[in-house]
Amino acid sequence: MDGDMTSAAARRPAVRGAASALVAALVVAGCTAPGPATSASDAVPTTIRLLMFGGPEERAAYQEVATAFHAQRPDLNVVIDAVAGQDELLARLTTGFAGGNPPDVFLVNFRRYGQFAALGALQPVQPLIEVSDVIDLADFFEEPLTAFRYDGGDLSCLPQNVSSLVTYVNLDLFEAAGLDVPFDGLDWNTLVEVATALTDADSGVYGLGTSPSLVRLAPLVWSTGAELVDDMVAPTRLTLDDFPQRDALDFLLDLNLVHEVTPPDLAEQARGSHDRFLDGDLAMLWSSRIEVPTFRTITDFAWDVVPFPIAPGGRDVTMLHSDAFCLPAGLDTTDAAWAFVEFASTVPGQTILAESGRTVPSRIDVAASAAFLRNDVPPTHAQVFLDNIQVVRATPSTASWNEVERRADDILEAAFYGRISREDARARLRELSFAPDS
Amino acid sequence: MTRWGARSALLAGPFILGVVVLLGVPMLLTGWYAFTNQTAFTPGTFTGLDNLRQAWRDPLVGAAMRASLVHALLTVPLRLAAATAFALALASPRRGNRIARAAVYLPSVLPDLSLALLALWAFNPVFGPVNGVLRAIGVTGPNWFGSPWGARVAIAAMMLLPIGEAFLVVLAARRSLDPSLYDAGRIDGASPRQLLRHITLPQIAPLLALLAVRDTILSLQVNVVPAYALTDGGPDSATLFFPVLIFDHAFELFRFGYGAFLTLALLVVTALLVLGQALFARSRGWL
Repeated sequence: MDGDMTSAAARRPAVRGAASALVAALVVAGCTAPGPATSASDAVPTTIRLLMFGGPEERAAYQEVATAFHAQRPDLNVVIDAVAGQDELLARLTTGFAGGNPPDVFLVNFRRYGQFAALGALQPVQPLIEVSDVIDLADFFEEPLTAFRYDGGDLSCLPQNVSSLVTYVNLDLFEAAGLDVPFDGLDWNTLVEVATALTDADSGVYGLGTSPSLVRLAPLVWSTGAELVDDMVAPTRLTLDDFPQRDALDFLLDLNLVHEVTPPDLAEQARGSHDRFLDGDLAMLWSSRIEVPTFRTITDFAWDVVPFPIAPGGRDVTMLHSDAFCLPAGLDTTDAAWAFVEFASTVPGQTILAESGRTVPSRIDVAASAAFLRNDVPPTHAQVFLDNIQVVRATPSTASWNEVERRADDILEAAFYGRISREDARARLRELSFAPDS
Repeated sequence: MTRWGARSALLAGPFILGVVVLLGVPMLLTGWYAFTNQTAFTPGTFTGLDNLRQAWRDPLVGAAMRASLVHALLTVPLRLAAATAFALALASPRRGNRIARAAVYLPSVLPDLSLALLALWAFNPVFGPVNGVLRAIGVTGPNWFGSPWGARVAIAAMMLLPIGEAFLVVLAARRSLDPSLYDAGRIDGASPRQLLRHITLPQIAPLLALLAVRDTILSLQVNVVPAYALTDGGPDSATLFFPVLIFDHAFELFRFGYGAFLTLALLVVTALLVLGQALFARSRGWL
C-alpha cells in the first residue's frame, strides 16, 4: 500500500497538471460553446440553426437554399438540422426550448404550431413583415396565411408551402381495367365503384389506400357541408356523432369494412399503402404533396394526381397541409434568422424548394411558374394542387388540437380495421376532451 | 481526513457528483414540477393536486398503467426464465459453450432500436419468419402489431433477446457453486432434475429474487424505444406503456408539470411492487 501511495504521490503533480488543464479546457469550452449563434464578425459568420423534419430530398433542397443564402449573405451561415418526422421535431423543440437552446428558426405544420403560440413561445412574424423590404403578404396565398394566424390575430409564422390532400392514381392499373381516370374529380359513390373494379385482393391489388385518420376524415365531413368541431375558434368537442358527419365517418369505415377496397389490417401491417403504391399494387392513394419526390423514382408505371372525392351533391373541399417558418421568442438571433426566412420566401428561395418537387409554394408567382408546374416529370396534373388552394380548409389551431388528433387517430384506426365497433368508436370520439388553451 | 480517506473521496467524487447532478437534482425538480403547471416554455406555478385530479380523470392513465403491468407480468418471468435456463445449460466447460454464451450475450450490446427493427421484420404478419414457421406447421399466425395481445406478446418476445446481463450474473453464480454438493447428490442417486431443484435453484434463489426486482424496474421504466418504434402505443393503447405516456405529455404536448406527476406516480407504483417482491422474497428466506 505504501508503495502505491508513494508512486501515487510521485504522479500527483502530473495528475494535478492534467486536472488543471481539463478544468481550463472545460471553462474555455463553456465560454465558447456554440449557442444558437455566435457573435458576428468579419471573419466568422453568424450561425443560424434551422430545425425541420423531412426526408433526404427535403433536406437537400433546404441545404441548397441555405447555400444560396450564404452566397448572398456571407456573414450568415445556416445549418440544417433535420429529423425524420413530426414527433421527433416536437421532442427536439421541447428539449431545445426547455434547455434554453431552441433552434433559431424551425419549420412546423399548422396543426402543431398552436401549442407553441398558446404558450407565447413564438416571435410573431407580423411585425417583422410590416417593416420588411422583401416580404409582401399580397404575394402569398391567403389560405395558409389564415391557418397561421393564431386565434385569427397576427401572423405567427410565415408559410413556406400550401399542400393539400389529393388522390394519387396508378394510370396503368386504370388502363388495364378499362376505366377512365377521374381527372375532373369524382364523388364518393363513383369512388367506391372505381375502387371496387380496381381491387383484386387475391393478387394483393387494392383500389384505394388511406390512413384512417382525422385529417383524412375532415374533408369528407366538410364535403357534406357539416363541421368537424362545434366551434372552429374555441372547439369543445368533435361533432362526428351528429348528422351528416356520421355519414362521412361511415363512408370512411365502409371503405374497409363493407366495400373492402382498401388493404385490410393484415395486408396494411405487412406492407403500408405508400409502399404498395410504389410497388404498383395500389390504384389510388390519398395523400399530400409529400409523396412526390419518392414517387418520381417510379419507373414501372405511370402515375398522376386527381382531386380528392366529394360527397354526393356535396362541396368540393380538401384538407390543407402547410408548414411555416417559425421563430422562437426572445432570441438574439431573430434578425439573422428572419433574414434567412425572408430569402427562403423570395422567388429565388421558393423556386429552389419548388424544383425539389416536395413543396407546393406558398408564393402565388412561384406556384404558377415552371419550377412547380413542370412538364418533364409527374404529376402531369400538378395544377390540381393549385386548384385545391381555392377549396382547402384547416383544422382548428388550438393548443389541444395535437392531442385530440392523436387520440382520435387511434380510435379511427381501431374502428377502420374492425377492432372496435362503430358505436364504440363514436362513443370514444364523443368523450375526447379539448383542454382549454390557457 | 486521512490520506486514504482523501483518496477515496477523490475517487468517489465524480460518481457522487454525477449522482447529485444527474439524478438528485432532476428528482427534486420532478418532485416540484409534479405539483405545478410547468411547461417546456413557461415557468410553473403551484397548482396543488390539480395534476392528480387530471390523472384521475384521464382514461389513458389507467390504460397505460394496465399496459405497463401486463408488460412486466409477461416479460419479467420470461426474461428471468430464459436467462436462467441459458446460464445453467451453458455453465459447463463443454465444447461450443463459449460460442453459445457469446451468442446469448450478443443481443444485449445491440441498440434497442435495432432490436425493434428486427422485431418489425420478424413479426411481419405476411412476410415475417415467425408467421412463416407457424404457417409451415399449419397454424395461421396472428396480425402481431394489429391486435392488442399480438403486440404485447411480440414486444415481450423482443425483450427476450437482451438478457445478457442477467445471463452473466446467473452464469457466474452457477459456476461458483461448490461442486462437492453435486458430487454428493449424484452419489445419493439424484437425477439431473433433482439436482436442479434441490441444489442449484435454492442456492441461486437470492440472486434470482434480486434479478426479478431489477427486471421489474426495467420492464416498467425502460420500454419507450420498442413501444415507439413498433406500435407507438397501439393498438388500442395495448402498448401505451407508462413511460410512453409520460414522454407524450412532457415532450410532445409540453406539459412538464403533468409529465412530472405521472413520473412520480410511476415511481410510487414501482416502489410498491419492488417492496412487495422484497417482502415475498424475505418471507421465503431468499433475501
